[in-house]
Amino acid sequence: MVYEASILDNLSQFFMYTGFANVTMGHILMILVGLVFIYLAIAKDWEPMLLIPIGFGILIGNIPLFPGLQVGVYEQGSVLNILYGGVSQGWYPPLIFLGIGAMTDFSALISNPKLMLIGAAAQFGIFGAYIVALALGFSPTEAGAIGIIGGADGPTAIFLSGRLAPDLMGAIAVSAYSYMALVPVIQPPIMKLLTTEKERLIKMKAPRAVSPTEKRLFPIVGFLLTAFIVPSGIPLLGMLFFGNLIKESGVTKRLATTASGPLIDVVTILIGITVGASTQADKFLQWSSVKIFILGAFSFVVATFAGVLFVKFFNLFLKEGNKINPLIGNAGVSAVPDAARVSNNVGLEYDKRNYLLMHAMGPNVAGVIGSAVAAGILLAFLA
Amino acid sequence: MKKIYSLILLLGVLVCASNLNAQNMSDMRLNEVLVTNTEGFEDDYGYRSGWIELFNTSYGTVDIAGCYLSTDPENLTMYMIPKGDVLTKVQPRQHILFWADGVANRGTFHLGFTLDGAKEVIFTAADGRTIIDKVVFPALDTNKSYGRKMDGVGSVTELSAFYKSYRNSLLEAEAKADTSTEFGWIKMDNPTPSTNNATLDGESKSALMAKADPIGIFLTLTAMSVTFLALAILYLVFKQIGKFHIRKKSENAVEAVKDVANKEKADTSGQVSAETYAAISMAIHLFMIENEAHDFEETVLTINKVSRTYSPWSSKIYTLRETPQRKK
Repeated sequence: MVYEASILDNLSQFFMYTGFANVTMGHILMILVGLVFIYLAIAKDWEPMLLIPIGFGILIGNIPLFPGLQVGVYEQGSVLNILYGGVSQGWYPPLIFLGIGAMTDFSALISNPKLMLIGAAAQFGIFGAYIVALALGFSPTEAGAIGIIGGADGPTAIFLSGRLAPDLMGAIAVSAYSYMALVPVIQPPIMKLLTTEKERLIKMKAPRAVSPTEKRLFPIVGFLLTAFIVPSGIPLLGMLFFGNLIKESGVTKRLATTASGPLIDVVTILIGITVGASTQADKFLQWSSVKIFILGAFSFVVATFAGVLFVKFFNLFLKEGNKINPLIGNAGVSAVPDAARVSNNVGLEYDKRNYLLMHAMGPNVAGVIGSAVAAGILLAFLA
Repeated sequence: MKKIYSLILLLGVLVCASNLNAQNMSDMRLNEVLVTNTEGFEDDYGYRSGWIELFNTSYGTVDIAGCYLSTDPENLTMYMIPKGDVLTKVQPRQHILFWADGVANRGTFHLGFTLDGAKEVIFTAADGRTIIDKVVFPALDTNKSYGRKMDGVGSVTELSAFYKSYRNSLLEAEAKADTSTEFGWIKMDNPTPSTNNATLDGESKSALMAKADPIGIFLTLTAMSVTFLALAILYLVFKQIGKFHIRKKSENAVEAVKDVANKEKADTSGQVSAETYAAISMAIHLFMIENEAHDFEETVLTINKVSRTYSPWSSKIYTLRETPQRKK
């Protein structure tokens, strides 16, 4: 009898440690969100590289825990907490930027440098969302962190929110990555709304061939100029341009291969899984998260508007034959290379021979630089 | 030649390394000094004595073990800060206090000298020669200290000419200024051992921004201007670089054509020209036709229209990440 009682006590005690005893509606809701992410990645092929790790991370983070077991992402010293340090301390985003730099070809931008201005114009999404976030009652630091979602750049969003509003980072990161995955859904209607049939058929000149010297100069000059203007953006800009230099230098192939392959893959896995795990129901399911999601969508919409309208405005000053197809304006948001693909696909809907992909890659990579610059500015003013 | 390059590289590395070391130490500043202490801060033993406060101005930890404190410019190594004590690592933007009680065996932070009769304090690097900071202080009342207005900000070992003139103009402007003090230093009625000399403004940048720009429009305009400026400069620079390269390329092409022409000219002197070969070929061809030695050739060409939507422009292999492919 004593043994039976003891075993029952043990089982009863063990039950208290299980997820079933600690589950709440919030946990179940978040698990469903995680499952939807995984479904979208597998069934719809929407950013699977991001949504699979984030989706599964949401599952990991929302298994109901008995507090004090040192396994949760917010419990100091736990494995997940240590891995999450890369997010909370901002180590992962610059490493991701290193990989992006090592896999990005800036030729399209170098051959037609005026496309850089589109990358600047599209950053208006960040500041449009900043203004609205302030109006909704967020503090300037929180508004800045939320606004950066409009940069359509996950690493930048994590980097900035980690510095400006760490409490909102989970919602901001998930929002940024979700909307990046939804770029093919959000942008085309806006692009079609803002352009005429004639504008969509504009054929742009094929870019000239760019010499290796120009490609090597770009990361060096680009870094020096942008970093001198916005030193607070050095972690992102430095790694982006450094990654590109090891690619273009031609003498560090092994480094470039590692940065653009194994390294970025490892960091993507870690950043995805830990950002997902950081969305614990008790921290994530709040009104502020809902507002952040709404503001995130708004910032993407504003950024797309700004990019397309800027091209139309810019075309007023360009000679016939040099005009830019406004369908590449949306690519000014980072979201490399999805936004450029969207430009290409929408362009092909109206002219089967009008391939805009390479042209759109110009503003697309300029958007990466622009969002890093914008993040640096927000840091300088608000941190 | 390779040896010279190696030597230059080695020297460069050594210079950088020495600078790095010095840079760490040079971030330390003498921050506050109190000579006579009768009713102020007590040490761990319950004694009151004069003290010297150092401040780490950097945003990294600085280990001051092995450095020296002294009150005598002729003897910079009066007290060596002991090595092996973790407490000598000064955290970023933090203070560390040394008791000038003349009883060094009380611990790391008890100096082997007092400040009685001293006129200056010198902080010297571990080499015993490089003065990192020094302060000449005026006569101080009991329980009054001499410190920097803002922690870590103010005079350095030698005032530069610029600072001297700046200081003088500042002192002239402030008629009440005490000319016996160093630039940036003041006599403090309320000593602040191991804490900030000046209380920093409590309002964060965010709070200030919320007051100055509640709608966010000014930040938006400023930030957009800076973003445009950064990318516009990049655009202008690369426009010029592009023009330069195009010009150079066309010049090179012209040179190359000239070279080929010159080469052909040189090669063909004393040889049969291309026209001669063409004439011979034509003669042979006509001869073959005349003698019906040539096969009959079908001269009708059929061109089929080929639909080919692929273009290098649609290729993703050159620049983009490979699209995740789901096997169906």
